[in-house]
Amino acid sequence: MNLNPMEQFAVKPIFGMDKPLLSIAGHPIYFTNQALLMGIVAVASALFLTFAVKPNRLVPTRGQSMAEMSYEFVANMIHSATGEDGLKFFPFVFTLFIFVLCSNFFGMVPGSFTVTSQIAVTFALASLVILTVIVTGFAKHGIGFLKLFVPHAPWYLLILLIPIELISFLTRPISLSVRLFANMLAGHTMLAVFGGFVVALGTAGALAPLAIAPMLLIVAIMLLELLVAFLQAYVFAILTCIYLNEALHLHDHH
Amino acid sequence: MAAPDPDRLTDLGKRLDHFQTKQAAGQRRKAPSQSQIGFRFATELFAGVVGGGGIGWGLDWLCGHFGFHTKPVLMILFFVLGTATGIRNVMRAAKDINAEIAAGQSGGNGKESGS
Repeated sequence: MNLNPMEQFAVKPIFGMDKPLLSIAGHPIYFTNQALLMGIVAVASALFLTFAVKPNRLVPTRGQSMAEMSYEFVANMIHSATGEDGLKFFPFVFTLFIFVLCSNFFGMVPGSFTVTSQIAVTFALASLVILTVIVTGFAKHGIGFLKLFVPHAPWYLLILLIPIELISFLTRPISLSVRLFANMLAGHTMLAVFGGFVVALGTAGALAPLAIAPMLLIVAIMLLELLVAFLQAYVFAILTCIYLNEALHLHDHH
Repeated sequence: MAAPDPDRLTDLGKRLDHFQTKQAAGQRRKAPSQSQIGFRFATELFAGVVGGGGIGWGLDWLCGHFGFHTKPVLMILFFVLGTATGIRNVMRAAKDINAEIAAGQSGGNGKESGS
C-alpha cells in the first residue's frame, strides 16, 4: 500500500510503453499517463458533444440537453462578460471550458490521473489565453492597445504605475494557471491524505472502528471536490472572457 | 375556433415575465465562498511576487548577454515592483469581490434565503 499522497501526481510512462515513442533533438518523448488522459478527455468530450446533438429532437434527450445547456451556459457567460462581439471567441472559450471541466471530472474517477494538476498543462492553457488576448488587442487597436497599460493618473505616478500595470499583465498567465493547478493539487492531496488515515486507522487493531470517521470525511470532500472541479473550469473560462473583454474594449473604468 | 381570451393572454404574459426575471436572478453570480476568496488573494500575490522576480531575473540574464553586468540589480528592482503589483492586484480583487457581494445583496433577496 502506497501512502504517499503526492504519488498520484507523478507523470510516468504507462505500462508497456517503457521505450520512448520518438525523440526530438535528443529528448526522448514517452507516452505517459498524462498524455493518455489528455487524449481520453479530448476524444471523449468531442465524441460526446458530437453524438449528443445528433438526434436533434425538439424535445431533447438527456445527452442533447446537456450539450445544449453547456452551449448556452458558455454563450451567456461570454455575452455578459464581453458583449456581442466577444461571441467570435465562442469556439475558443467553449473548447477551453469543456477541456478543463472534463479533465477535472475525469480526474475525480478513483485511480485515474488529473491532467489539470500539472502546472505545465495549466500554464500552457493560460499562455494560450494571454497570447490570444495580445494578438486580438493589437489586431483590433493597433499600437493603441498599449493604452491598456497607462491608467488615468498624474504623470509622476505613471513612472511607477506603468511598470506595475505591465507586470500585472505579464503575470496573468501565472495567476490563471496557479489558481487551477493549486486547487486541483490541494483537493486531490487532501483526498489522498484522508485515504491514508483510513488505512492507518483500519489496521490499528482496537482503533479500527474509528476509521469510519475519515471515511465519512472523504465522502464530504469528494462532493466538495466535484463542486471545485466545476467551479475552477468556470473561473478559468470567465477570466478568459474578462481578459478578452479588456483586449476588445480597452477598459476605461479606472 | 374562438378568439383567444385576453385575460388568459395577459396571464400568460405575466407568467413569462415572472419566469424571465427569475431566470435572470438565477444567472447572477453568487458571492464567492471564504476559501475561494483566500485562494484568489494567495494566487494574485504569489503571481505578482514570483512573476516580477522572474521578469527581473530574465532581464538580468538578457543584459548579461549584451555585456551589461546588472546581475542582481534588475531582479531586486522587479521583485519590489512585482510585490507592489501583487498587493495592487489583491486590492483590486477585494474591490471586485465587494462589488459582487453588494450586487448579490441588493438583488438576491428572493426565495433562496434558506441556504
